Amino acid sequence: MLARTCLRSTRAFASARNGAVHFSKRAASSSSSGAAADAAPVGLNVAAAAATAVAAGSIAWYYHLYGPTAHAMTPAEEGLHPAKYPWVHEQMFKTFDHQALRRGFQVYREVCASCHSLSRVPYRALVGTILTVDEAKALAEENEYDNEPNDEGIIEKRPGKLADYLPAPYPNDEAARFANNGALPPDLSLITKARHGGCNYIFSLLTGYPDEPPAGAQVGSGLNFNPYFPGTGIAMARVLYDGLVDYEDETPASTSQMAKDVVEFLNWAAEPEMDDRKRMGMKVLVCTTVLFALSVWVKRYKWANVKSRKIAYDPPKPAKTRE
Amino acid sequence: MGFWDTIADMVEAATPWVTAEAEAPTQESTEETTVEATKEEETATKEAAEEPAEEEEEEEEEEEEDDEDDEDEIVDPKEKFEEECRESKQCSGVKHHFDECVERVTNASEQDGAKEDCVEEFFHLAHCATQCAAPKLWSALK
Repeated sequence: MLARTCLRSTRAFASARNGAVHFSKRAASSSSSGAAADAAPVGLNVAAAAATAVAAGSIAWYYHLYGPTAHAMTPAEEGLHPAKYPWVHEQMFKTFDHQALRRGFQVYREVCASCHSLSRVPYRALVGTILTVDEAKALAEENEYDNEPNDEGIIEKRPGKLADYLPAPYPNDEAARFANNGALPPDLSLITKARHGGCNYIFSLLTGYPDEPPAGAQVGSGLNFNPYFPGTGIAMARVLYDGLVDYEDETPASTSQMAKDVVEFLNWAAEPEMDDRKRMGMKVLVCTTVLFALSVWVKRYKWANVKSRKIAYDPPKPAKTRE
Repeated sequence: MGFWDTIADMVEAATPWVTAEAEAPTQESTEETTVEATKEEETATKEAAEEPAEEEEEEEEEEEEDDEDDEDEIVDPKEKFEEECRESKQCSGVKHHFDECVERVTNASEQDGAKEDCVEEFFHLAHCATQCAAPKLWSALK
């Protein structure tokens, strides 16, 4: 049916193209014979042509209204999209490189922590993944936390425990803004999940500060040019410089090495369950493949009778006719 | 009990998914175990000791390479690779556009204030360079 209607519509379209000649012919022929019988095809052709014209017109109108996408933002406002880096820990069966996490935590503590909080990560989460128990305890005890109210209802300070969370550099957002010229350094606990581009974006942002902004670029006062930041004007200045951190495993601390380590650490902070999640995924794959193979074999076993059965048609022998 | 412990230890030493403890195991537990068990443990630890020895050799090699790097000042591999990529044939087109834009804008700004910027051209060049340098950079970083 569809094919037939299509054919008919093209025919109608063809008639619409050289309409004048066609119609006059039909009109001439219709005048001689019965008018009611021949008027119908002309009317149908006109209707088909009109419907086609309306259909095409409505498509054109729609495209005119909604077709072209409007880019309200310039590329500078959009920000440069980061290149895709081949992160090992993003592969399907790979874990975090825990040596890198350790280095990354060192970078966070020595560089980032002066402005950025990591408020959702407790010391206990670091144990076994980044630090040993003793190291984590020693680190926790360096900071003071509010104790339970004592007998007089006064809240005193106590050294930190493993259950405490990493301390924030500022007591609240207002203090953070005041100390940073009005810009709020975001909390880094979930930052790799909270930004488009994830790890690639943060790595590119940290390492992507050019020596000087390109010619003609407008950089606001107190801002720095970074192509990856939407709007290109970022309040954070470049912080990672070659040799800023002395790694305990004597890895050369180039800017990109530090950025890579700290980004992997931040990815760990955002999804500490990743290693377990991948291990669970592997278990699921193993179990389901075993069960699938088993089910295939059971099916073959159960169907063996049916599959090997042969149905033969044994036609009745023609009855011997009596002579 | 002792017999099954040794079996478990040997299995643990042989299997690749040995659990790593955050804390070193305490000394007291080894003293309490029987003499037989410790003998079996020794054999197990000997087996296990072969693997770390190989790892150490690898680490030493890496350290030697690192030392060579340390002798001259640390050069950021990202800068190096991206500079190479910017000069490469792959990015010659966008580099040409960027250079031309910089020249045009600097000339215009000297005369009567620039009306355009080179951000878009810079983006294209940076995109090309980072894309080209990404795999090389990751093979250079630890």
